[in-house]
Amino acid sequence: MRVRTPRALKRSIWVFHLNTGSCNACDIEILDVLAPFMDAERFGVKLVASPRHADVALLTGPITRETLPKVVNALRAMPRPRLVLAIGACAVSGGIWHDSYSVIGGFPRLKKILEENGVVIDRVVYVPGCPARPEAIIYGLAVLVGLLKKKVRKEVKEAGER
Amino acid sequence: MNQHKDPLPERLRPIESLIREWLWIDRGRTIMLDVKRENLVEVARGLYKEIGAFFKTCAGVDERPLWGGYAVHHIFGIDEEGLDVVVYVRIPEKDYPWVPSIVREVPAADWCELEFRDLLGIDPRGRLTQRLVLPDDWPEEVKPLRKDVPYGYRPPRAEETKPAEVGMYPSGVPVGPYHPALHEPEYFELYVEGEEVVDVRYRGFHVHRGIEKLAESPRFDYNKVTFLAERICGICGFVHSCAYVMAVERAGKVEVPERAEYIRALLLEVERLHSHLLWLGVAAHLLGYDAGFMHAWRVREKTMILAEYLTGSRKTYGMNLVGGVRKDITPEKVPKILKVLEEVAKGTKKVADMIVSVPQVRKRLEGTGVLRKSDAAALSVVGPVARASGLNRDVRKDYPYLAYKDVSFKVPVYSEGDNLSRTLVRVEEIFESIEIIKQLLDRMPPGEVLNEEWDIEPGRYAVTSVEAPRGEDTHLLITGVGRPYRWRVRAPTYANIPALRPMLRGQELADAPITIASIDPCFSCTDRMLVIDVRTGKRSVLVTRPQVKVVSLG
Repeated sequence: MRVRTPRALKRSIWVFHLNTGSCNACDIEILDVLAPFMDAERFGVKLVASPRHADVALLTGPITRETLPKVVNALRAMPRPRLVLAIGACAVSGGIWHDSYSVIGGFPRLKKILEENGVVIDRVVYVPGCPARPEAIIYGLAVLVGLLKKKVRKEVKEAGER
Repeated sequence: MNQHKDPLPERLRPIESLIREWLWIDRGRTIMLDVKRENLVEVARGLYKEIGAFFKTCAGVDERPLWGGYAVHHIFGIDEEGLDVVVYVRIPEKDYPWVPSIVREVPAADWCELEFRDLLGIDPRGRLTQRLVLPDDWPEEVKPLRKDVPYGYRPPRAEETKPAEVGMYPSGVPVGPYHPALHEPEYFELYVEGEEVVDVRYRGFHVHRGIEKLAESPRFDYNKVTFLAERICGICGFVHSCAYVMAVERAGKVEVPERAEYIRALLLEVERLHSHLLWLGVAAHLLGYDAGFMHAWRVREKTMILAEYLTGSRKTYGMNLVGGVRKDITPEKVPKILKVLEEVAKGTKKVADMIVSVPQVRKRLEGTGVLRKSDAAALSVVGPVARASGLNRDVRKDYPYLAYKDVSFKVPVYSEGDNLSRTLVRVEEIFESIEIIKQLLDRMPPGEVLNEEWDIEPGRYAVTSVEAPRGEDTHLLITGVGRPYRWRVRAPTYANIPALRPMLRGQELADAPITIASIDPCFSCTDRMLVIDVRTGKRSVLVTRPQVKVVSLG
C-alpha cells in the first residue's frame, strides 16, 4: 500500500523501540544512534516510552513465540500511519533463527499475523545487517519517512528463469 | 568418557562414600562423579555446605540414543582449586524420568531444574514446579530438547488451561514487558506496600530462541556453531563464542596456537570495555542523569571503532573458529590501539568521576539495593555483583584460561554490596582491562593464529567458564558426530537475577529501576531457550494473558 507521509512527520520523528527477541546488538546500535557520535536527535528523532506516542516502531529481533501477542498489542496501540523500521537480519527474515521452534521468523511473517488481527502496517523499510550499522539505521529512517529516495528496487525471479 | 584414573582430590574426601565412581575428564580441571540417584541430595549438600563449592548450573541430557536413558549433570565449582565438579546422575526411566530436586540444599539450582523439566520432561521431585522457559501457549507434552523431536517443529497452540491465581499483595506495579527502562522484553512485577517494595516476581524468557536445539540440528557443524554462539548476546557475544570454542578444543584435544589465545583474550577485554561503559551510561540514564549517559556513550564509541579496526565489525566480531581465530592483529595496528586505549582511559576517568560525584546520583546509589554476602554466596551469584558483595570470585583468576595466566591484574572487591559498590567495581574493571590489553600486546608471541587440522571424536565432554562483563559464563559440551551432541549455556545473568529479590525487598519503589539495572541484566543471554513464571516464596503466581495485554499497552 502506498501512503503519503504527512509533512509533519518529516520534521520530528518519535520512535518506539520494540525488541521482539533480539540479541541486543541491534538494540545497542539503536541507542548508539541517539548517542553523541551519531546524534540522530539533530533530526528531531526522539525515543519515546509508549507506542501511543510513536510515529515509527523500531523493530528488532526474530519475533519469538512468547513476545508475539505483546508485539501485536504494541503495534495496534500505535496511531496511523503505522510506520515500521525492521532492523537487522533477524527482523528482516528471521536470520540465523529462521526455522527454530520458538521463533515466528521475520517481519514478513509477522505482517501476515498482524493483518489477520486487523492491524494494518502502512509502510515498512528493511535495514539488513548483523547487527545493522548506526549509519544504516539513520538512512533507513530517512527513507521510511520520505526524506530520501530508496536506491534499491525489488525484483522477484523464479528459479530457472534468466 | 573415562579418560584418566587419578585419585580423588583431598577436598572431595568427605563425600567419597557416596560416589559410585569418579573419572577425570580433564586432569586437574574437571572431575566427573558418578552418583546414584538416591545419593544425589546428600552429595549436593556435602559439596555446597561442607566443601564450600559454588553451584554453576545443571543440564539435563537425553542420552537415550547412547545407553537408553536420561541423565542430569550438576556442575559445581571449587574456586580455590580451580576445579569443576560434575555430578552425573543416570535416569533409567524412558517414559517418566525423574530426579530428586536439590533446591532445598542448593537454592541456586532453582531455575535450571525447571529448565530441564520444561525442555526434556525430567521431573525434579520434591519441589514446586511450574513452567519457566517455554511460551504460555506451548503444549505440555512437547519437549523440544528430546532427540526424537525435530528441531524445527512448531507445535500448534495449546488451549490455555492454567488457573489465574491472585497474589496476596494488593498492589502490584508492572515493569515491562516493554518499558523505557528495559531495552529487552522482560516482565517484572513489583509488589508494594506504600512506597516500599515487599516482593518481586520476574517473568522472563521472552527471548528464548531455541539455540541449544539449533546447535544439534543438521544446519550446523562445529565451526558454524561459533557464529550461532556469538548471536546469543549482542553485548557479550564474543564471550559465548570463546567459551564454546574452548569447550570444543578441550573436548577434542585440539591444539590452539598461543597467539590465537592472546588475540581472543584481547578481544574479550575490548568487549568488557564497551560493555562496562555501556552500563555506566545506562545507569546514569536510569537515574535521570542523561548528561552522564551521553558522555559515557561518547567515550564508548571509541571502543566500538577500535573493535571494528581489529575485527572488521562493531559487534558480533565473527573472529573465532575451532582451533584459533580468523584474523591476526598485526604489529602495525599496535600504536593505534594504544592511542585509543589512552583516550578511553582518560575519558572514562573524567566521566566516571563526574557521574559518581554528582550528589544526587551518589545518594541514589549509596546504600540502595544491598545484597549481603551470605545471600550472595547462597545464590552463587557471579561477576561484579558477587565482587561488590565481598566475594572474591573471578574466573580469570580462579580457573585461568586463554592468556590470562600470563598477565597480572587486580580483582576489585567491595564489601558493601550496594549499587554504588557495583558501579565502582565496574569502573575499576575498565582500567584493569586497559592494563590487561597493554600487557597482552606487549607479550604477544609470534606465529600462526589458526590450526585447521583437527578431528573430534564423538562422546567427549568438556566444561568451560569464561569471565564475561556480567560474570561467569559456563558452557557444557558433549561432542557428537560432526556437531555437538549437547551444548548447554549458562549465562551470567541467569545466576544473578534470583539475587534481585533480596536486593529489592524493603527498598523504595523509586530505587527499583537502578537496582534491577545494577546486575547489568542481559536477558537475551539468559533466555536462549524458551518462557516463564517465577516464584514468590511460598506462593506461585502465574501471569494471565489479560494481565499481559494490559501491560503491553503501556
